[in-house]
Amino acid sequence: MTAPNPEDKKVPQPAKVPEPVAATPAAAPAAAPKAVPPKYVPPVPVLNHKNGRLIEDRFTTWPTQVFANRWSRPGFQWGAGMLVAIFGGLAVTGIVVGELATWADKFYAALSSFAASKGLSALFVEGVWTMIKVLIVLHIVLINGLWSIWWERKISAHIQSRVGPTYAGSPKGWNFHGWAQTAIDGIKLLLKEDITPAAADKWVHALAPGLVVAPCIIAFAPVLFGDNMAAASLDIGTLYIFAVAGISVIGIVMAGWASGNKYSLLGGLRGAAQIVSYELPRGFSVVPVLMFAGSLDLQIISNAQAGYWHGIIPRWFIFYPVVGQIAFVIFLISSVAETNRTPFDIPEAESELVSGFHTEYSGMKWSIFFLAEYAYVLLGSFLLATFFLGGGASPINAAPFTLIPSWMWMLGKAMLMMFVFLWVRWTLPRFRVDQLMDFTWKFLLPWSFVNIAIAGLYLAFWFK
Amino acid sequence: MIRYFSNIANNTKALIQGHWITLKYMFKPAVTIHYPDEKLVPFEMFRGALLFDQQVCISCNLCVKACPSNCIALENAKNETGKKIAKVDWYSIDFGKCNFCRLCEEACPTKPKSVWHSLDYEVIFVKRDEMVRCWKKDFPFIGKYFDRKAQDFKDPEGQVSIHDVQPRRS
Repeated sequence: MTAPNPEDKKVPQPAKVPEPVAATPAAAPAAAPKAVPPKYVPPVPVLNHKNGRLIEDRFTTWPTQVFANRWSRPGFQWGAGMLVAIFGGLAVTGIVVGELATWADKFYAALSSFAASKGLSALFVEGVWTMIKVLIVLHIVLINGLWSIWWERKISAHIQSRVGPTYAGSPKGWNFHGWAQTAIDGIKLLLKEDITPAAADKWVHALAPGLVVAPCIIAFAPVLFGDNMAAASLDIGTLYIFAVAGISVIGIVMAGWASGNKYSLLGGLRGAAQIVSYELPRGFSVVPVLMFAGSLDLQIISNAQAGYWHGIIPRWFIFYPVVGQIAFVIFLISSVAETNRTPFDIPEAESELVSGFHTEYSGMKWSIFFLAEYAYVLLGSFLLATFFLGGGASPINAAPFTLIPSWMWMLGKAMLMMFVFLWVRWTLPRFRVDQLMDFTWKFLLPWSFVNIAIAGLYLAFWFK
Repeated sequence: MIRYFSNIANNTKALIQGHWITLKYMFKPAVTIHYPDEKLVPFEMFRGALLFDQQVCISCNLCVKACPSNCIALENAKNETGKKIAKVDWYSIDFGKCNFCRLCEEACPTKPKSVWHSLDYEVIFVKRDEMVRCWKKDFPFIGKYFDRKAQDFKDPEGQVSIHDVQPRRS
C-alpha cells in the first residue's frame, strides 16, 4: 500500500481534516485521569497498487474512503486457497484416476460375481445397479441445485457490481464467498411453514411441484456425463429427453390452476403457451445434428464429433459452417425459453404477475419449483455440450488436453453453457408476450426449417 | 429483404454489445462496502451526532434559542455567592428531537465551538431515556443519560462510537 500522493486530487480528504490542535487546551476533557482524548487518525484509504489512486474513483463526494483492504480478511485468503485446492484436486484426480466409467464397470462386475456366488438372479443385479444409477443421477440434480443457485447469485451480483453472498459458511473465516448460502437457505425452506391457500384445490396444489420436478429427473436418464457414462443408453435418447421434459408443462398449469389465484392462473397458462411454442424450434434445431450423426442416441451423436479438421479444428457440430451456428443459437434460445428464465420469464413475470404460477407456494414446495428450473438449466447445458460442443472430446488436439478424461471435458462444457444461461439471464430484459410469440413462430421456427434444408444440401453434396 | 437481414444483423450486434458490457462489469471490482468490517468516512460537512464540550461553553443560551426543535437545554453554573458565571451547570441534548440542522453549531460564539456535529453516523439508542444526553459538571466528557427508573445517570449502552472524540472543524 502506497502513501497517498499529495498532488493527487483524489485523496485530499485526510489532509483537510484538522487534527485536535494542541494550541487549544480547552479541548482537553474535564476528567483529569483521561489525560488526552484519543487522537483522530484518518483511515488509510484503499489504493490501487498499480497507479496509487483510489480504487473507487467514480464517487465524487461520498463515499470518500474505504476502511481495510478486504483481501486482508482471513476468509478471503482461506477461500481462495480452498478454491485452488478444489480445482487442483479435481484436475489431479481426473488425470490420475482417468475414467469414472471403468470404475463403474469394475463395480458392476463385482456386483454380478457377488450375486453369482450367492445364487441370486440377474434381475437382482440389474435392480440394484439401476437403483444405484438412479441415486447418482438424483444426486447430480440435487447438488446441481445447490451449486447453480449459489453460482447464479454470485454471477448476478458481480454483473451488477455487487458481491453477492459473502458471510454464510463459518464465523471462523471458512466463508469463502458465502459458499454455504444455498445449503442454509435450503434448511430454512425446509423449516418454513407450508401454506396452502383456502381457495386452493388442495390435492392438485400439492401434486403440482412433484409433477414439475419428476419429469426433469426422469429426463436425465439418457444424458451423457462423459463417454459411455449415461444412466441408460437409449437409441431414442434425444426424443426421450424432449418428450419427458415436455411433461413438466402440465405441472406448471396445475400449479397455476390449483392456487386459486388469478395471477397464478395467468402465469400457468402463459407458461404452457410459451413452452409448447418453444418445443418446436428446439426440436427442429437439433434435426441437422441428428441428420449428420444419423442417430438419436446421444452416445453416437457424441462419437460423430470425434476427430479434427486439418488436425486443429475439432469436428464439433457447432463448427459446421452456417448450419452448426444457426442450430446452436436456436437451440440455446429455446432452451432458455424452456426453463422460463429471464428474457423469457413471462410465466413468472414479477412486475406483471406477482410471481406467476408459484405465487401461492411457500417453503419446500416453492423450492422444488426452483430445483426443477435449475435441473432444466443443467439438462440444457448437457444437451448443448453433447449436441454441439463435441461431448467429452477435447477442444485442442494436443497431449495434455487429450489426456484429461471425457467426463471432465463434458462437465466443463456444461458449466460453460450454464454460465451462458446465467449471463443471458442477467443481461436481457423480459419479452412482451406478443413479442415472445412472434419471435418463436415468425423467426426461430422458419429459420430452423431453413437450417434443416441447408443441412440436407450439405449431406447431398458435401458429406457423400 | 435487405431490411429484414439488416434488422437481424443490427439486433445481433446489439445483443452482443449488451452481453459484452455485462461481461466486462462482471470482472470489475464490486462497489459494495462490507459495512461492519469496512466503514465509510463521511464527507467533511457531514452532520453526525452532536458533541458538547463543557470546558469551552460560556453558557450563553444561543444554541438553545437557535434550535428549531427545542432539543437543547442548559443551566448556568453559580459561584459560591450565588451569582451566575459563564460556565454551564448542566447541558442536555435530546437526540430524539434533534434534526441535525447545524443551527446550534452556527450560533455558538465560542472558538472552538462548544457544540458541534461529529462525523459519527452510528447513532443508536436502545432506550428512550438514552436519547437525552446530559453533560454535568465533573462528569466525564462523554454524554451520560438519566435513567428515570433508576433515578441515576448512566453510561449509554446503544451508542457505538460517540465515545471517540471526533475532529473539530473550527
